[in-house]
Amino acid sequence: MMWLAWRQHRKQALFTLVGLAVLAGVMIPTGLAVRGTFADLGLADCVQQQNTETKDCGRAFNDFHNQYDTLLLVGILFLVLPLLVGLFWGAPLVAREVEQGTHRFVWTQGVSRTRWAVVKFGFVGATTLAAAVVYGLGMSWWLGPLVAGGGRSRFEVLFFDMQGVAPVGYTLFAVALGVFAGTVWTRMLPAMAGTLGGFAVVRIVLTAVARPHYLPAREHTYPLVSAAGFDGGAPRDAWALSDGVRDANGTMVGPGVQVFCPPGSNGPNGGPCGGEFGEGAYNWLLYQPADRYWLFQGIETGIFVALAALLLYLAVRRVRRIA
Amino acid sequence: MRGSGMELVLEADALGKRYGSSWALRDCALRLPAGRVAALVGPNGAGKSTLLHLAVGLLRPDAGAVRVFDQAPYGNTKLLAEIGFVAQDTPLYRDLTAEELVTLGGKLNRRWDAALVRHRLAQLGIPPGKPVGTLSGGQRAQVALALALAKRPRLLLLLDEPVASLDPLARREFMQSLMGSVAESGTTVLLSSHILGDLERVCDYLIVLHSAEVKLAGPVEDLLDGHRQLMGPRTADDRSIAGVAAVVRASHTDRQSTLLVRTDGDPIDPSWTVRDVDLEDLILAYLTDGGPTRASHEEWGVPA
Repeated sequence: MMWLAWRQHRKQALFTLVGLAVLAGVMIPTGLAVRGTFADLGLADCVQQQNTETKDCGRAFNDFHNQYDTLLLVGILFLVLPLLVGLFWGAPLVAREVEQGTHRFVWTQGVSRTRWAVVKFGFVGATTLAAAVVYGLGMSWWLGPLVAGGGRSRFEVLFFDMQGVAPVGYTLFAVALGVFAGTVWTRMLPAMAGTLGGFAVVRIVLTAVARPHYLPAREHTYPLVSAAGFDGGAPRDAWALSDGVRDANGTMVGPGVQVFCPPGSNGPNGGPCGGEFGEGAYNWLLYQPADRYWLFQGIETGIFVALAALLLYLAVRRVRRIA
Repeated sequence: MRGSGMELVLEADALGKRYGSSWALRDCALRLPAGRVAALVGPNGAGKSTLLHLAVGLLRPDAGAVRVFDQAPYGNTKLLAEIGFVAQDTPLYRDLTAEELVTLGGKLNRRWDAALVRHRLAQLGIPPGKPVGTLSGGQRAQVALALALAKRPRLLLLLDEPVASLDPLARREFMQSLMGSVAESGTTVLLSSHILGDLERVCDYLIVLHSAEVKLAGPVEDLLDGHRQLMGPRTADDRSIAGVAAVVRASHTDRQSTLLVRTDGDPIDPSWTVRDVDLEDLILAYLTDGGPTRASHEEWGVPA
C-alpha cells in the first residue's frame, strides 16, 4: 500500500519540494537583505526600547518602511499557500479515484478500504506536515525583522497567520477539508470549490470571531496628559483589539481615538489638551498581551489540527460508502 | 463442469439496492452454481452494475442479502481474495505501466500469480514499460483481465463485458483468452452485458435483468428446453393452451398469433406449430414486456 501511495504521489511530492525550493530561493536572499538593512539602520535597539521618538530611530523606521513595506504586503500573498496545498493535495485524493473509476480497481484488491484510506491520508498528511513545518519556521525567520521594522506586532491579524506553527494547522486542515470534500462530491472540480469555500469561511470566522476570545483580553488605561511618552507606556507588541477614550464614568466618548498630550499643552481650540472629552477622561485599550503569542499560536493550531483530524475521520467513514 | 453442481458461488435473496427513492435492484433472487460461465444480460440501467457491485462488496445492500461463497461481501477483505473483478471501462491507473501494475497487484494481494500475468501479457504483446493510458482499449482490457486472473480467483466478475466497446477482433481475442484461462482453472465467471453477441457461444448460464428485477435465470440448456415458440391462428392472449405454463410474449397479425411460451412439460396442443427457441429470442421476449413508457409519455406531455 505504501508502494502505491508513493508511486501515485511522488510527482506531487517532487512538485512540493520544488515549490519549497523556489520559495526558499526567493526568501533567503530577500530575508538576508532585510536583516542586513535592519542591522545597518540600528533598528534592533530601537525595537528593543520601543523607541520611535528619537530622531534617529524615527528616521530608521521611516527608511525601513519605505524600502520594505511593499515586500511585507507581498508576503501576505503567502497566506493562500495552505489553501493551495488543500486544493491540489487534498481534494483530488479520493475525488480523482472516483472520477476515473480506479477506486473500483483498488478497492477490490486484497486491501480493505479503511487501510487504503489510512495509508493514503497518512502519507499525504505526513508530507504536508513536513512541508508546513519548514514553511512556518522559514516564514518566522523571514517575517521577523519585516514586521518589527515595520513597527507592527507579529501578534496582529495576518502576520500572526503567516508564521510560527499556525500555518501548520491551516495546511493540515486545508488538506483534510479537501479529502473530505472529495468524499462528499467525488468529483474534482466541485471538491476543489467546496474546499476553497469551506477553508475561507472557517478561517475568516475563526480569525474574526473566535481568536480574540481564546483568553480574556486585558484592559489598559492611561491618562490623556502624561509625560511618559508618545503612547503612555502601552503594552509592547500586544495585539490591540479595540481602543478609544472614555470619560470619567467609563462611557466611550471617542471610539478608535487615542489622545497623547505633553503636560501643559493646549488643544486646537485653545483649551487644555483633551479637554473636549471632559474632566477625568482617559485612554482605554483592550488587548492581548505579547507574551500570549505562542499560547495563541498553540490554541489556533490545536483547533485546526483537531478539525483536520475530525474531517479525516469522517472521510474514512465516507470512503466505506462510496461505490 | 466442476464439482457436484450443488455448490453455490453467488446467492441473492430479496436483494435490493436503492439510490434515493428509486430502486436500482429490487427483490432479486439468484443462485449461481460453481463452475458456470454465466451471462448477466439486460439493457443499460437494468441494474447489472449494481448487482455486480453488490457481489464484490463495493455496495452494501439496502434490502435482503447477497452471499458469495456463503459470506457477505461488503467490507469483507478476506473474501476479496477469492473474487476477480473487472469494472466497467476497465479502470486502471493510467500513468502506471503494465509492469508497475503487476508489481502493485503483488503488493495489494496476498495470493498473486505474477508469473501467470507476466506470461499472459507477454503472449498478448503488451508493452511492459508504457503507461497503460497510452495503450489501446483492447490492450487495456487485456491488462485488466490479466490482473484479475492473477489473483487466481474462484469467482470472476466482469462488468459490462469490459470489451463491449471494442472492435469485433479485439473482442473476440479477449473472449478467447478469457475462456482459455477459466476453462483450465474451473473459475466461475459472471459477465454482464447489454448485448448478447458472442456471449451466446461461451455461456452455459443465463440471467436476464430488466427494470431492476430478475426476469429469468437458469442453465442455458434448461431455459432453451423449457421454452417454445408457437404459431397458429389468431387467438386471444388469455386463452389457456395445453402444455403451456405461461405466455411470455405474444404478437399478432390479423390472422396469425406468434407466442413465446414457457412449457410445463406436457405435450403441447397439436393445433399449434411448435418451434425451438434460440437464446436471442428468449432474451428479447423477456426484455420487451412492460417498461416505464407510460410515465415517460406523461413526462413529455405527449399521448401514449
